[in-house]
Amino acid sequence: MPADRIELPQGTLDLLILRTLALEPQHGWAISERVQQISKDVLQIQQGSLYPALHRLERRGWIKAHWGTSDNNRRAKYYELTRTGRKQLAVERTAWKKLTAAVAQILESA
Amino acid sequence: MFSDVLFRLKSLFRRNKVESELAEELHAHIERETEKLLKVGMSREDAHRRARLLFGGFDKVNEECREARGVYLLETLLQDLRYAARTLRKNPGFTAVVVLTLALGIGASTTVFSIVNTVLLNPLPYPAVEQIVFPWRLAPRGLQLGYNEIPWGRTEFLLFSKELKTFQSLGAFKSDSFNLTGAGEPIRLNGLRASAGFFHALGTSPALGRTFTSEEDAPGHERVVVLGYSFWRERFNGDANLIGRSVELNGASYTVVGVMPDGFSFPHAEEMPGGFTFARNVQIWVPLALSAGPPIPGEASELAVIGRLKNGISISEAQAEMNLMTTRIENQFPNGLAKGWYNSRVTSMTQQVTGDTRRPLLLILGAVGIVLLIACSNVASLVLARSLGRNREFTLRAALGAGRARVARQLLTESLLPAVIGGTLGIAFAEVGIHFVKVFGPANLPRLHEVVLDFRVLAFAAGCSILTGILFGLSPAIGMSRTDLAESLNQGGQRVSGSGASSRIRKTLLVCEIALAFVLVIVAGLLAQSFFRLLSVDAGFHADHVLTFELSLPELKYPDQQHIAALYQHALHSLQSQPGIESAAIVETLPIGGATESTGIRIPDWTPSKNGARRYANYTIASPGFFATVGAPILRGREFLESDTATSMPVTVINDAMAKKFWPGQDPIGKQVGPGSPQYPLETIVGIAADVKHLSLREEPGPEMYVPYMQKVWPSLLTMEVVLRTRLDVAGAVTSARNAIRAIDADLPIANVRPLASLVDDSVAQPKFSMLLLAAFGAFALILACIGIYGVISYSVAQRTREIGVRVALGASRSNIFGMIIGQGARLAGLGIAIGIAVALGATKMMSSFLYEVRPADPTTFAAVCVILMSVAALACYLPARRATRVDPLVALRHD
Repeated sequence: MPADRIELPQGTLDLLILRTLALEPQHGWAISERVQQISKDVLQIQQGSLYPALHRLERRGWIKAHWGTSDNNRRAKYYELTRTGRKQLAVERTAWKKLTAAVAQILESA
Repeated sequence: MFSDVLFRLKSLFRRNKVESELAEELHAHIERETEKLLKVGMSREDAHRRARLLFGGFDKVNEECREARGVYLLETLLQDLRYAARTLRKNPGFTAVVVLTLALGIGASTTVFSIVNTVLLNPLPYPAVEQIVFPWRLAPRGLQLGYNEIPWGRTEFLLFSKELKTFQSLGAFKSDSFNLTGAGEPIRLNGLRASAGFFHALGTSPALGRTFTSEEDAPGHERVVVLGYSFWRERFNGDANLIGRSVELNGASYTVVGVMPDGFSFPHAEEMPGGFTFARNVQIWVPLALSAGPPIPGEASELAVIGRLKNGISISEAQAEMNLMTTRIENQFPNGLAKGWYNSRVTSMTQQVTGDTRRPLLLILGAVGIVLLIACSNVASLVLARSLGRNREFTLRAALGAGRARVARQLLTESLLPAVIGGTLGIAFAEVGIHFVKVFGPANLPRLHEVVLDFRVLAFAAGCSILTGILFGLSPAIGMSRTDLAESLNQGGQRVSGSGASSRIRKTLLVCEIALAFVLVIVAGLLAQSFFRLLSVDAGFHADHVLTFELSLPELKYPDQQHIAALYQHALHSLQSQPGIESAAIVETLPIGGATESTGIRIPDWTPSKNGARRYANYTIASPGFFATVGAPILRGREFLESDTATSMPVTVINDAMAKKFWPGQDPIGKQVGPGSPQYPLETIVGIAADVKHLSLREEPGPEMYVPYMQKVWPSLLTMEVVLRTRLDVAGAVTSARNAIRAIDADLPIANVRPLASLVDDSVAQPKFSMLLLAAFGAFALILACIGIYGVISYSVAQRTREIGVRVALGASRSNIFGMIIGQGARLAGLGIAIGIAVALGATKMMSSFLYEVRPADPTTFAAVCVILMSVAALACYLPARRATRVDPLVALRHD
């Protein structure tokens, strides 16, 4: 495992999932692959921890699930963003940007 | 929110489907990961292992998903409940102790709360009760009456009715009694004379017919009557056609105009101030019919006033108007003659009814709360001790991935289950308790008959059970969740000694328990001491073998003093001639039977002090033989004789307090004293009697003068109490008395037959009730503390078996060991007592008004309770200490 991987800060997993699903509906494994690809393997996610987060988001009504067939004709549970999920993504994205900007400012000025 | 619940429920009810889908989803993930790794050239076996590693603990993820779906809470609750029920069934002894302790604690609390609920919290059964007030007249400052409220006169009430603007209705009332004749055995009825505004002020509508009109409230038109519900049911079989017909009261015909609803019998004696004597249960209401016109000299003031405030008027506004009014009245008298005699206090109905009972009830509620706390901490300690034995179970759970919160939740469920069972049983106990209080509780506790287990009481009991469940479940949960996983596992199969934290918690609980029990027993002890001091107080008379009843003469038949006096004279002779009756007398007010008349007095050769202290005395009419009959000793001089008649020299007997107040250091015999108004003749003092108490055994007796009935100048003697000294039982005495009275006037009922001793009992009923309850609570607390100490010490002995074995092996004697264990208990008890003393010193300060001749910090009580608690502690330690001395070092060292 590369040493420069960093642990995911608390609460950001939901944001990453929502962002990933904003592109297209995906099943669990694909989401975890996508996150790692996009983040160029910097972010380290324990793969299993993805699933409780998915179920939690489903309960909140931000994503919904349906069973479909994947590329190689296997049954897979696909998740897609709901309308409230899309709004939530916008909200969290703004909040995240504000937060990082503020933290960055503090770190640089100090 | 709703969709969330739906989602959870779907997850719960379609559990199998959801579970299998979840497993499929997770397995699919690992499968794909494995394939990906196979592509980079790993062997199938390595790829699978690596994929699982990257995924993390499969069961853990599975569990977390379930939790995320929200099934978790509901499902684990059911699971925990099943488990808790199983554990409880497996330990019947433990379960019984826990459930019973809680049931007793919750039962006692619920019983007390049901009384508090009815008396203090439930609104009174009158419409817009917050508008109902009593504008009482207050006695002048410095007058030692034992009560503050005194009656208004006729002219004052008429003035109020005409001028007061803050009241929408105003009514006056006074007690009266009526003989119902004309049909069967004559009976005496408790009646009330009330003006028309009385019913309007109360706002209660009659069940049948109507109440009084203002025309009927004028003299000459007052021959109408409103009946009480139960009297109407019993005497007239609930005949609705009775309205408009007439009944014979005091020999005159009265038309029945209405029947009040069931439960209405205002005023209740126990809710009215001490200076007014009302019956406990009013049966009929008759118009007061006050005559208009100027004041009549010597007219008695005897009215209580009730009013209903206008909408939006506050009590303080009414008070302000009353103040203006009373100042005006006071100024009508020349030369400040009436200074201090016209003051008022507007008291709300609710305040009036609950006033005196509020504090004792809150005291009892506080005490029962302490009992519940002790019960709770005891159960906590038990649960904690038991949970230590289950340490390995919890360690295993933790190792298998159960979080701290999860274990705590299970422990809470396990304590809530017995708490809820205990609570349910407690409600059953409360039902019994309420019945008990109704039967044995003090009759003068207001609204006692209304006490029921209503919704609020049930909610209270439920709250109690849940709160106690959480409280005693929490401490083991804290104790357990601190357990160090590795350490416990390392101890392997060995017995796990209590972790430091839980043992500390148990000891802390025990110390608190002892401290609380100490406070409770102190309070009970102080109340008991006051009560017995109260009983041993010299009431001024001897109630044994004295029977009392009331005679009420109809005015039509006995219109003047001459007829009245002749009747009593004959009656007394007739009574005295009955076999078994040693002596008989009449008196206006029975000893300890409530307030008597009072009057301003004049003493010819007495110079008043500068501050103008008014001379005033109680004024009681009695017959010759009264003092001997009630056993009130004559200290000097003589009592009334048959020879003290209307034509002989006017005489009076005064009490000791009056002698000391007005003739300090002198012999008052032969001196003269008389009622304040010069129109009455002066009376010569012929005797000094012991101070007879009127309102309560606690009272400081005020000056009192007795006047023989033959020489009385006022009031009318239409209603008098008869006292008999007799060796006969009550039934026999009543038969004799009835025969004696019937021989003189067959229409005279004898009413309200009571042994004089029962009046004494009634007067101490409330302190007795508080004391008995507190004593019961104190005993319960002691037993609980005893169980608590026993539990902690015997547990610690079991824990220290090995250590004790080593000590014995090294030469410690059995008495050393015994002393060591007892010492451990004594240290804990000592600490608890020390804290208890500090708390009790603070707490008992607040209860000085409950105490009689006992200081709140009474050293005897404190010392005695210390000894009691120490003995209880020693007793509780005895068995475990003995067990410790029997420890065989050989066995002990092989113990684990």
